[in-house]
Amino acid sequence: MHTQTNARKIAWAFFATSMLLLVLQIVYGFIMGFAHMGHDVLHDVIPFNVARATHTNLLVVWLLSGFMGSAYYIIPEEAERDIWNAKLGWIQLGSLVLVGVVAIIGFHLQWWEGRKFLEIPRPLDYLVVVNVLAFLLNIGMTLFKGNRFTTTSVTLLVGLTAAALLYLPGMIWFDNHTVDSYFRWWVVHLWVEGVWELIMGAILAYLLIKLTGVDREVIEKWLYIIVGITFLSGILGTGHHYYWIGAPKYWLMVGGIFSALEPLAFLAMALYAVAMARKGERRHPNRIALRWAVGTGIMSFVGAGFLGFAHTLPSVNKWTHGTLVTAMHGHLAFWGAYAMLIFAMIAYVLPEITGRKLYTKWRAEWSFWTSNIGMISMTGAFAVAGVAQVYLERRMGMDFLEAQEAVEVHFLALVLAACLFTTGIVLFIIDFIKYGLPQPAENVPVTSPGGDAGPGTGGAASA
Amino acid sequence: MLSKSQAKVFFLVATLGFSGVFLALTFDTMRQIPEQTNSAEISESALRGRHIWDRKNCMGCHTILGEGAYYAPELTRAVERRGEEWLRIFLRDPEAMYPGRRRMIQYNFTEDEITDVIAFLEWIGNIDANGFPFDPDMAPTAAIAAAGAEAPEVLQAAPTYYRNVCQSCHAVEGFGGNTGPALDGVATRFNEAELHQWLADPQAVRPGTTMPNLNLAEDVRTELVTWLLTLD
Repeated sequence: MHTQTNARKIAWAFFATSMLLLVLQIVYGFIMGFAHMGHDVLHDVIPFNVARATHTNLLVVWLLSGFMGSAYYIIPEEAERDIWNAKLGWIQLGSLVLVGVVAIIGFHLQWWEGRKFLEIPRPLDYLVVVNVLAFLLNIGMTLFKGNRFTTTSVTLLVGLTAAALLYLPGMIWFDNHTVDSYFRWWVVHLWVEGVWELIMGAILAYLLIKLTGVDREVIEKWLYIIVGITFLSGILGTGHHYYWIGAPKYWLMVGGIFSALEPLAFLAMALYAVAMARKGERRHPNRIALRWAVGTGIMSFVGAGFLGFAHTLPSVNKWTHGTLVTAMHGHLAFWGAYAMLIFAMIAYVLPEITGRKLYTKWRAEWSFWTSNIGMISMTGAFAVAGVAQVYLERRMGMDFLEAQEAVEVHFLALVLAACLFTTGIVLFIIDFIKYGLPQPAENVPVTSPGGDAGPGTGGAASA
Repeated sequence: MLSKSQAKVFFLVATLGFSGVFLALTFDTMRQIPEQTNSAEISESALRGRHIWDRKNCMGCHTILGEGAYYAPELTRAVERRGEEWLRIFLRDPEAMYPGRRRMIQYNFTEDEITDVIAFLEWIGNIDANGFPFDPDMAPTAAIAAAGAEAPEVLQAAPTYYRNVCQSCHAVEGFGGNTGPALDGVATRFNEAELHQWLADPQAVRPGTTMPNLNLAEDVRTELVTWLLTLD
């Protein structure tokens, strides 16, 4: 049954890369937290803009690495064959790491583009494109040469391909800053509030199929509906980035209406995860993986859906735009929707590929709770600082620096909460290490009594 | 209840339909942006300024049109708020203006580069950004009155440099900034020589002071001191 030995090794290596980059991301987060507190002690070595570019780009790269690891595991498993070209997979991982390392060293030497989230310098962008093409080729060929097309795997492939295509508009230089900004959001917004949700939906569907035993047809039907709602709201929801950049006024209305609908997709995702977890009859022993999977549904609604809605309407956004309120939303949104999803995937995959069952131990439980309580508290600290900033600076006209000094104390709270969060991450990574390396497929007993009814159930569906 | 194939149709229609609408709106937006952003007024200098903005990753700390990081001030209307003179002094040595407070990197810009950055910021400030950044709507009434008030008579005679630079921190008859002390009656507290010494090198007179060294030219300093001595 298991023939995915190479794919599993590659998936494991991508997940390991993710964890390494996440740790680095957290380090840079602390640097910024201390700077906001008034202790910018590394100013001469790592000024704030370097820390900021590093922090956000590491996030993007580790999430992408996590998505790729997930795809290297899911697609061969769904297609019932090993990865098409294992060597290409390793080369692709190597080049992704190379781009990441060069970009981060480059940032410290001020080799970058000053464009929020897309700071990677142009020559490296081309390498990213080649890298992603190699990745898509590999999983695409695996899917097409496989024995089975499933809605889940096709959705995942479509999501990843669309993400790659949408990277391209971000590579064009425009003399007009407004036009540049307009197309930068095609990448950033249409990724995180568009095709990444497609990827999220597919990975979540896969996990729910495996962990709850609910019929694939039911789960995949809801997958279509959720991603349908995502695009119905998310595409025109891009308009909430166009309110104040010099674009026509109708974006206030279009962006306001459609981005107000965006939480529905996340709400659907949350309810779907909870409902499927309840409905499931065959209980998979890996309860922790299911908890991360249901958790990602719920926290994505709170962080991305609800807190996004909190400042998306133009009448609110006119005051909150460009303040710490955005950081509040950003942290819980990325954690809930994407970081937790990858944690769910890792929590599910590691026992499957190593044959060990550490999910019954205390660390797995505590890492879930401390990281989540920590991140919720961090979001609270950002919220208090952000709302205070909005009123002091934007609405009452206090000088920027004075307002910042007034909210410094909330960054102490942020750093303390971040320590709790980091504890959870460290526990998760200790487990990751203790699981050890993936074992050859034939040595790993089948532990998944999940509800996959076997080949052919998905039919030759295509998205 | 919906079947799986109906769900798939819903997905395809929603995605393709709204992508179509989005592309149409994008087309229209691209048509309108040149006028709304005065793109004909993007000078060579402003364009160079944008490259500097980009190369130094200014957005890594500041926001512009509300986009960027939240560590340093929003700069959309920086030129209108501070004036060119003030920005020049600041960009030559950011720490001189805010000693001991949150730090900006010293880029050692040339005078030409400073001109370019200011040209870029000036172009940004003139974009029709649907009202952003909005004026504070809950400012204490006194501040609103002061902002709207005519400058007091005594300021009519003030040197241009005072109005462009000093005034953003110091007030006379309640008109001006409150970062530094008010200057009412300054002539009764200090004599001409003391004022000269102070303006030439504030740190030498009172180490640790937040008053920046503005590197004033001799004639500008004399002009300022002469006027300050009228405040009695």
